[in-house]
Amino acid sequence: MSNTTSATPSAPLRRTRGFAGAVSPWWILLAGAFLVFFFVAPIANNLLNTDNLATLAERNPPSFYYKKLLTDAYYLKIVGVTVALSVGVTLICVLVGYPVALYLVRYAGRWSGLVIFLLIAPLLTSIIMRTFGWRVIFARRGILNDFLLSIDMLERPIMFLNGPGSVVVGLVHVLVPFMVLSIASVLRSIDPQIEESARILGANRFQTFLRVTFPLSLDGIGTGFIIVFLLANGSFVTLLLLGGGELRTLPLLIYQQFTISRDFQFAAAMSNVLLAIAVGCLYLQLRLIRRKGVKG
Amino acid sequence: MGASSSVGASLELRLEGISKRFGQVVALDRSDLTVEPGLLLSLLGPSGCGKTTTLRIIAGFESPDTGRVVIGDRDVGQLPPNKRGLGMVFQNYSLFPHMTVGENIAFGLKMARVGPREVRSRVGEMLDLVHLPGFEERYPHQLSGGQQQRVALARSLVTRPAVLLLDEPLGALDKNLRENMQFELRRIQRTLGTTTILVTHDQEEALTLSDRVVVMNQGKILQVGSPNDVYEFPHTRFVSEFLGASNLFEGGLAHAGDGTFELAVTHGEDTTVLRVLHDDNVGTGEAMIAVRPEKISLSEEAPDRGNVVRGEVAGHVFRGSYHAYEIEVAGRDDPVFVYSQARSRSGEQVFQPGQAVHMSWDESDSVLLTDN
Repeated sequence: MSNTTSATPSAPLRRTRGFAGAVSPWWILLAGAFLVFFFVAPIANNLLNTDNLATLAERNPPSFYYKKLLTDAYYLKIVGVTVALSVGVTLICVLVGYPVALYLVRYAGRWSGLVIFLLIAPLLTSIIMRTFGWRVIFARRGILNDFLLSIDMLERPIMFLNGPGSVVVGLVHVLVPFMVLSIASVLRSIDPQIEESARILGANRFQTFLRVTFPLSLDGIGTGFIIVFLLANGSFVTLLLLGGGELRTLPLLIYQQFTISRDFQFAAAMSNVLLAIAVGCLYLQLRLIRRKGVKG
Repeated sequence: MGASSSVGASLELRLEGISKRFGQVVALDRSDLTVEPGLLLSLLGPSGCGKTTTLRIIAGFESPDTGRVVIGDRDVGQLPPNKRGLGMVFQNYSLFPHMTVGENIAFGLKMARVGPREVRSRVGEMLDLVHLPGFEERYPHQLSGGQQQRVALARSLVTRPAVLLLDEPLGALDKNLRENMQFELRRIQRTLGTTTILVTHDQEEALTLSDRVVVMNQGKILQVGSPNDVYEFPHTRFVSEFLGASNLFEGGLAHAGDGTFELAVTHGEDTTVLRVLHDDNVGTGEAMIAVRPEKISLSEEAPDRGNVVRGEVAGHVFRGSYHAYEIEVAGRDDPVFVYSQARSRSGEQVFQPGQAVHMSWDESDSVLLTDN
């Protein structure tokens, strides 16, 4: 996957080796133990929770829940909506984020620090605050409706909230910085002289972008895709606050199983399915990137 | 080698009154330059002298504040880089890492909408020319630095550019490979007869490769001439010192008639008269002459002709093909450098530090720096 660095592979490699040499194997063991306790164990535990957390009067075998999830049309649709929402949000993030990343790397010049600050600053605010911000904008008597009414674009307020539209906007807003930064870091590693070579060989700006810059930045899109997809896949605060229950996804359902129906077994099964989807998509994307990206 | 079919129309390149500022910095100050068709001209100078800016203005990556860029009889000043019909090789090759060697070389042809069959044959032809036949399917990262540079050269030449621009093309190669590639580059350039501009800070590279050398400093063109001209007859102290080692003597200049001048150099108590040839009627007064270290010979006894300066050996190193001496002259700040050819394994006299010697050179071997 590493493309542009292929000219000098030895230097960073040696540095890594030197670093690993300075750190004794015991520290690695410690890190491994930490991961086992706080990552592997909870996941393994959850795999068993489908059986263990039977708190309701009726006790069903785990297969009952998985069968229900993967055959019942209602739940299948929720699985489908979850994946579709994540993919959709991620694609919009690519479309919105790529131009920003390109501007940041190629044209912002001395303003690039400011652009990065503006990108990252919202991450310092709680996701709940940011999402409530959208509620203020999208509300029935909110800023957006007021504005559209005042310029006579609307006769009466529109319900922006509690639909897929507001959820997608909210998610894109929260997740697009990750996409921009992933793409920008790869764009930054492309030598501008490679683009100039294309120009002098007869390619106009657009052809240069299409045939050189874009293919060389696929790695960044891939990385951003994975990050944004996984975050979107697991998000539920935004769905809860902006979706109004209209848009049902697995994370939302898990939340409801725990807080409302208190069917822990089913919730555990759902989170396992969500995990499987995430891992499956991750695997697919990695394979796709490796094939489409730059060999080297 | 199919060279004849690859010959593009070799065109003249002309820069007229080009200047360029970056903020407060004058990168290029009203420069004029003409490159005759088919010649290889090098822009030589230290970093920041304006040579790269000149190249980028020709390429169209920078636009000059004033002046015209004319290729053939066409003013290309308003054209974007992709419309100028040029070829360019960068120092770090800048091959497209996601394309094979074949795709890299074919890129310019595809942009020009050349048919696939002709693309294939011309790519093969260029790979033959740079001695990399059959490398079409490899990726740049599978090639050595020298091979990548050859591919970059092939990629820039396959479109038969009117002018080829080389930006420090050999700078990233190690010394031996660089020398090989110099001859290689010269052979290919001669074969195709493409008008070529080479940017370099390496004086040896400029002298080896060029028909014309342009020495630049601080945004100005100081001297243009054949490699021999700029090396043997520098006009300024900067040119003299930038093109290899140079010993400078300063003093009062007097006309001695018949194209001969006399420079009275004061070293402490002594005044030595050094003779130098110059055809012009240059003004007398304070002046400077330059002598190359290899033009000076050393002897124990004072020779009876030529310019003679007495000194004492301060240092000596053997550099394989020659002995390098540092000679201290009483009353002079800088030592004088003398290179004497190592002719035979045992024959010549080697002077030891501390030994008193006479340095001498023919009056035609020193040059009066007229333009300081």
